[in-house]
Amino acid sequence: MALPRYDARNRDTGPPEARAPPPAHATLSWRITARRLPTDSLEALLLSLAALAVASILFGVFVALQGHDPLAVYQTLYLGGFGTRFSIENTLTQAAPLLLTALCTLIPARVGLLVIGGEGAVVLGGLGAVLAGVALAGAPALIGTILTISAGALAGGFWIAAAAALKHMRGVNETISTLLMNYIAIALMNHLISGPIRDFSQTLKAQSWSIPNPFMVGNIPGWSVHWGLVIGLTICVLLHLVLRHTTLGFSFDILGGNRRAAQMAGLPIGRLMLLACFLGGAAAGIAGAIEIVAVHGAASESLVVGLGYTGILVAFLARQNALAVLLVALLLGGISASGGLLQRRFDMPHAVTSVLQGLIFICVLASNASAGRWRRSSG
Amino acid sequence: MSSTLDLGWWGVVLAIIAGAIRVSTPYLLVSLGETLTEKSGRVNLGLEGTLVLGAMSGFATSYLTGSPWLGLLAAGVSGAAMGLLHALICNLPRVNDIAVGIALFIFGIGLAFYLGKPFIEPRAPMLPALPLGSWSHHPAIRSAFDVSPLFFIGIALALALEWGMKNTRWGLIVRMAGDSADAARAIGRSVERIRTYATIAGGFLSGVGGGFLALFYPGNWNEGLSSGQGLMAVALVIFARWSPVRCFYASLLFGGASAIGPAVQTVGITEGYYLFYAAPYALTLALLIYSSSPTQALAGAPNELSISR
Amino acid sequence: MTPSLPEVEIVDFSKRFGAVQALDAVSVRFTAGRMHALLGENGAGKSTLVKCLMGYYKVDAGRILVDRHARAIAHPYDAHALGLGMVYQHFTLVPQMSVAENFVLGRERLPAVLDWAAEHTALRKFMARMPFRLDPRRLVATLAAGEKQKLEILKQLYLGRQFLVLDEPTSVLTPGEADEVLGEMRRLADAGELTVVLITHKLREVMEFAQDVTILRGGKVVARIDVADASEQRLAAMMFGQSHDTVKLELASRAGPSANYLEIEHLHALGDRDTIAVAGASLAVRSGEIVGIAGVSGNGQKELVEVLAGQREAESGSLRIAGRAFNGTRRELKQYGVSLLTEEPLANAAVRSMSVMENLSLRQFDQLPLARGRFVLNRRAMRPFAEDLIRRYGIRTASLFARLDTLSGGNIQRTVLARELSRDVRLLIMQNPCVGLDAAAVAEIRGQIMRARERGAAILLISEDLDEILDLSDRVLVMAAGRISYETDRASADRYEIGRHMAQGRLTA
Repeated sequence: MALPRYDARNRDTGPPEARAPPPAHATLSWRITARRLPTDSLEALLLSLAALAVASILFGVFVALQGHDPLAVYQTLYLGGFGTRFSIENTLTQAAPLLLTALCTLIPARVGLLVIGGEGAVVLGGLGAVLAGVALAGAPALIGTILTISAGALAGGFWIAAAAALKHMRGVNETISTLLMNYIAIALMNHLISGPIRDFSQTLKAQSWSIPNPFMVGNIPGWSVHWGLVIGLTICVLLHLVLRHTTLGFSFDILGGNRRAAQMAGLPIGRLMLLACFLGGAAAGIAGAIEIVAVHGAASESLVVGLGYTGILVAFLARQNALAVLLVALLLGGISASGGLLQRRFDMPHAVTSVLQGLIFICVLASNASAGRWRRSSG
Repeated sequence: MSSTLDLGWWGVVLAIIAGAIRVSTPYLLVSLGETLTEKSGRVNLGLEGTLVLGAMSGFATSYLTGSPWLGLLAAGVSGAAMGLLHALICNLPRVNDIAVGIALFIFGIGLAFYLGKPFIEPRAPMLPALPLGSWSHHPAIRSAFDVSPLFFIGIALALALEWGMKNTRWGLIVRMAGDSADAARAIGRSVERIRTYATIAGGFLSGVGGGFLALFYPGNWNEGLSSGQGLMAVALVIFARWSPVRCFYASLLFGGASAIGPAVQTVGITEGYYLFYAAPYALTLALLIYSSSPTQALAGAPNELSISR
Repeated sequence: MTPSLPEVEIVDFSKRFGAVQALDAVSVRFTAGRMHALLGENGAGKSTLVKCLMGYYKVDAGRILVDRHARAIAHPYDAHALGLGMVYQHFTLVPQMSVAENFVLGRERLPAVLDWAAEHTALRKFMARMPFRLDPRRLVATLAAGEKQKLEILKQLYLGRQFLVLDEPTSVLTPGEADEVLGEMRRLADAGELTVVLITHKLREVMEFAQDVTILRGGKVVARIDVADASEQRLAAMMFGQSHDTVKLELASRAGPSANYLEIEHLHALGDRDTIAVAGASLAVRSGEIVGIAGVSGNGQKELVEVLAGQREAESGSLRIAGRAFNGTRRELKQYGVSLLTEEPLANAAVRSMSVMENLSLRQFDQLPLARGRFVLNRRAMRPFAEDLIRRYGIRTASLFARLDTLSGGNIQRTVLARELSRDVRLLIMQNPCVGLDAAAVAEIRGQIMRARERGAAILLISEDLDEILDLSDRVLVMAAGRISYETDRASADRYEIGRHMAQGRLTA
């Protein structure tokens, strides 16, 4: 029997409340149903799967309209993402940075902030890594690598934390500010790599100084995937543990759930927001630093390839759950990875993967509308 | 453009003015569209995707049909379609309009790049300009004052919107939907329908803005055509405090700021080119910091807007 | 020559929300040209009834007769077309628009382009005939609560409505304004210009202004009487189903003065739109006493509680507990044993998306037994902790893990109550704690308050219900215009004197 819903705004004009005091035995009835009801997470999973299915169908229609066979395209998507060892390695390589940039949206989302500054934090992380790497030339290899990545983390962390400070102290909307800061970061990088920290020996394109070779990070033994994947994975799992099993994570949940309740509970709102944004920015900064130490070795416009924006997508698809990020990043990495194969087999521009990703995002957002319909009623 | 060097610093001033007029036009069109959308209570961050898609459809249509005006129309229509998509999804319960905007941003750009691949090389017929500089025999001045009629259409639109918001039935209804959805529902108006129309109109104008980029200035189609004008428009609307006429002034300001970089290059200042490029964004951020307050909503912000809460 | 007023009759309205029968074969005849009161406690079905009449809800069964003809009202438009209008509790005005724009917007047929000169002239002529007057150019956001209420009523009259439903119109008005508004409405009814339906739970208003009364209880009509034949006692009996003596609680007298526990001095705070809300309020609460703050809503009470709850920053002034400065940090809340029961718990004191269990842990999650050390959360320990509270406070929920917003309002309030009162409470701050609750829950809460007082807690009770204040408080304060304007103790409390002080302040709601 469903309990009537209480809506604070209509407290006098909504449906009436239960009237009689509960009979003695009624208080025992909840014991019987006190088993964990995972309705919300089960429902979330089912909805996400349904959204994926709908998006795939729509994509199939799209490619069919272009004159291609949808089933063949699906097959190629799978092959290109997960079909061979080579494609799996490709997928993992694409997924690795997404694991971290997703956190730049995910962690602030837990405290109720919508941050879209992953792109800027990645760039700042790359710049920080380059500057630190060059400054530490001559240090022992492992130390140098660790400090280089840490510098990237700090750069990205402070960048996004600045947006949190603006929000807390001046009430500046964090979505707009991080959006603007993306462009400022990119412009800053372009300025630096075309002059002050430019490596003039590289004539192909503008590029910064390279970090010392010993600091570069190699591949996981036996795989053509760099260690960045493991770093990303570890951070996601650690973060999940923190968010779920620490008092800090619980404080985040309260703040994200109801700011006024958090104030009433005496939680330090400003500090929590700053910390959440710093952690998110640091994660994206690490992604940028990894691009430097594991892939490019120097900063250039290759840092600006939409890692931040795709990260937002991953965070939303994962419904702001750090463990789900692992699966979603894998999925989106697979889609990105299959772009090359799609291009070769069907002569499709690489942008087709953005079309698919956009469709998935749209469908997942639309599926939120059905959330809560299947919530099990009491009694 | 060797004659610009003869003008020295006057050339810089000229370039900034010309830039202000030219570059401001897409800003103006997109921000007017977004003003309308936000006045009704929705934020459309997908305008960047709409703009790029509009640019591509405009260019493609102009190339395929030979008529830049048809191209402009196609640009607007594709923009309206994106606006409709945004509105329909946001009308569903519990959907966050900012997230939808980002989704459409990714989708729109992907679609535009995908369908637009074959049109990168070819050249398409461009929109004509009004030769307002014909009184001069200096080629630089003449080309600086080659103004697109869209600029004047934009100004007219700004004035019309400003007047219309206060003096027409539709203007009042749109403002009501954005300021108090409860009040709108209380008199039986469908808030979703109002916002849908406003978002479609906003999308149309953004599409036309994109069409301007592809069919007038810079006047080609490639994947680097837009430098974030669509997203910037959202910032611009806030900067302009949701007033159409102030959008016009703000667009001029941003257009001028964007033109400073290339302009000073002509007098030999090559350092800091990219920093000038960042100027509009930094300026908007600075203004946002200045005008926001931790306790008050932004003055003039429609109450129902998710970013002003 | 006004056309004759419509005779509206409701026949056999039934409406169900889920498992709850909100209306059960309700029939009411609203005689034209009279003021008709719909009386009942919270949740009796009064608002549901009028919302069905106005086309906001669709009835499951029943007919509406207007002038003896059956009419279908499926949408508010239909109701408006028949001349029926409603003034809500929550304002349906557009804050960023002017009074004139708000008037004009309600019209069915608006011209595509508005001629403001003509509109303003028409408005001036209209206002001249009306009992209340407002400047059409003023922005609604700058109007006071009383002015907004009057604007809502004027809007309905401007739109030519001849049948007006007023849903608790005086809840945000001072007693003086309330009398003015209801008096004018009655005059209009007597003059044959309007039929008024007054929804209220205030017996005094019914006795003074209404002519007919329909009493609802549990979704059913329990009585239809002429006010002339009724008395407050009789009305109360029919509303609550038994002779309802206001519980005059025997408060044990205090043996000697005890120290001030909470001290508020010269507190200043701004409201939501940079208006002055709290203007130098000072008060003190001793351990073991209940201090009640009476006042009409909109005089700074909400802002005062928000400052105490850490939800609003004070501009100046001091807050001290046990003599030491109080900043609302978590450590201080625990150290001083501060508990808060705010109004609208779902909005202010709980997290709707978290489970009942997690909400119950809000105060204690960073202490043993729920936390190991200061950082690690022990979710498994939350279960017995929550189960204990659920049992002791009778919270009805399907499971520990159910989302808080699946509970009824009363159970949400009980959850917050359980969480707040099950600690070592030395300062209890309550704001309208019994709003929206049924009689049994109200009795429970009052019992809890008394028990806390016995245990020596300092209690601050802020309420818009004067009866509640008078029943429970040792000392009664009045808050008006943002400051404490009057103080009296229980023995010498005089209702009318208190009411007079409540009427002094006028602030924006």
